[in-house]
Amino acid sequence: MIRVLLNAQLKDYTRGAREVDVSSADNLGTMVRKLDSSFPGIGGRIVDDQGKIRAHVNIFVNSENSRYLQMEKTRLRDGDVVHILPAVSGG
Amino acid sequence: METWCTSSQLSRVDKMAKSSGNKGKVCLMVGTRKGAFVFTSGPDRKNWKVTGPHLKGNEIYHMAYDGRSGAMLASIVSGHWGPTVARSEDMGKQWKESSTPPRFPKGSGLSVARLWQIKPGPEEEPDVVYAGVEPACLFMSKDGGRKWKVNEALMNHKTRKKWQAGGGGLCLHTILVNGKRPGRLHVAISAVGTLRTDDGGQSWRFQNKNVMTGFQPDKYPEYGTCVHKLAINPSTPDVIYHQNHTGVYRSDDAGESWVDIRNNLPSKFGFPVAVDANDPKRAYLAPLEGDFSRIPPDGHFAVWGTDNRGKEWFRLDEGLPKQSYYTVLRDGMVSDMEDPCGLYFGTTTGHLYASRDQGNQWESIADGLPPILSVNVSST
Repeated sequence: MIRVLLNAQLKDYTRGAREVDVSSADNLGTMVRKLDSSFPGIGGRIVDDQGKIRAHVNIFVNSENSRYLQMEKTRLRDGDVVHILPAVSGG
Repeated sequence: METWCTSSQLSRVDKMAKSSGNKGKVCLMVGTRKGAFVFTSGPDRKNWKVTGPHLKGNEIYHMAYDGRSGAMLASIVSGHWGPTVARSEDMGKQWKESSTPPRFPKGSGLSVARLWQIKPGPEEEPDVVYAGVEPACLFMSKDGGRKWKVNEALMNHKTRKKWQAGGGGLCLHTILVNGKRPGRLHVAISAVGTLRTDDGGQSWRFQNKNVMTGFQPDKYPEYGTCVHKLAINPSTPDVIYHQNHTGVYRSDDAGESWVDIRNNLPSKFGFPVAVDANDPKRAYLAPLEGDFSRIPPDGHFAVWGTDNRGKEWFRLDEGLPKQSYYTVLRDGMVSDMEDPCGLYFGTTTGHLYASRDQGNQWESIADGLPPILSVNVSST
């Protein structure tokens, strides 16, 4: 099981939940697809049409930014904690 | 933003909008960089009540009221979470995102960056809605805007690899529905040009004859022209007015060819164009000095109108500031269906103006709004 912590702006998709569990997924891309299966529409806000993490979204795996890992191909293991957050996009 | 409309007032508006007796209510939908505002007035268009911002924080590139269903639709873009379409059945109080938003298929290599114009389809197809996107393509919904599917003919157009973006991106920003000829649509793409389908989107052909480009060795190419906006009068859909990067044009043959109608305009450059609903000979523009400064000629913004199909143009600035560096974007000016025709424009400085009399007299409806991306109007 993977624990996913969501930014408040995504809670409309999860009926208000800020933390949700996703059954085992081998990488972030698969995890986002599973998340979207449970909460339709949320996947398209996190990744683009081709499954790439959106430019202004950061996904952290156990506090490591996936941009410095393997992006959507970042490996996951049961027990991992994933944060999905908007990137700092200001000046 | 001050709200002049109480919830009880809005509730009355909602109930009226849903009832068959609500003829003559005018609904002005204003999309900004920070959300949507909905202005509602009676048929006199004198007193406007506003709600908003709706969809707060999102860029609203376009909104439309679908008179067939009573739903309001919005093209929304979040800087973080990407684009989608939202739909409201209560005049903007509550919104629901499309369950299957416009998305390119896996393997296409394309990803929707922004949503532009959203357009209800023809009367005989009451559930059809179209949306233009960046990178340029058309999407269609057959259920009122809940689920969307890409137009494959345009996505796979044989010239796509040579399409070049304009300053606003490679966007399909205009969709014209020919209400008299089933299957016919016009779309406009910057900086590609105008295309038409006569078979409901199964095939597309360019329609840029006589449209000049100033940025290619070939001045009159088949495609690669920078159309900024098209407009038609629904009663005469074969007559199309066209504001281009390099000129102002009119077609009298459903886009087969174009005639230069710049004539005495102060500039050939600008973005929006609107057509008078009651008189196909009347059209309206918002010229800017082109194309590198992009400010109003002489520092004095004015709408320019014609009542003879573009043979002559006249300045319409009564009630507008004498010095103003307003910019009105391509979806920032629109005409209503009332008589006399009303005109509305919103500026990138957050000013919203209206005229009840074909642009002869302007009044400020609001200022201090976020930068205005789009203005649309409908009678509910």
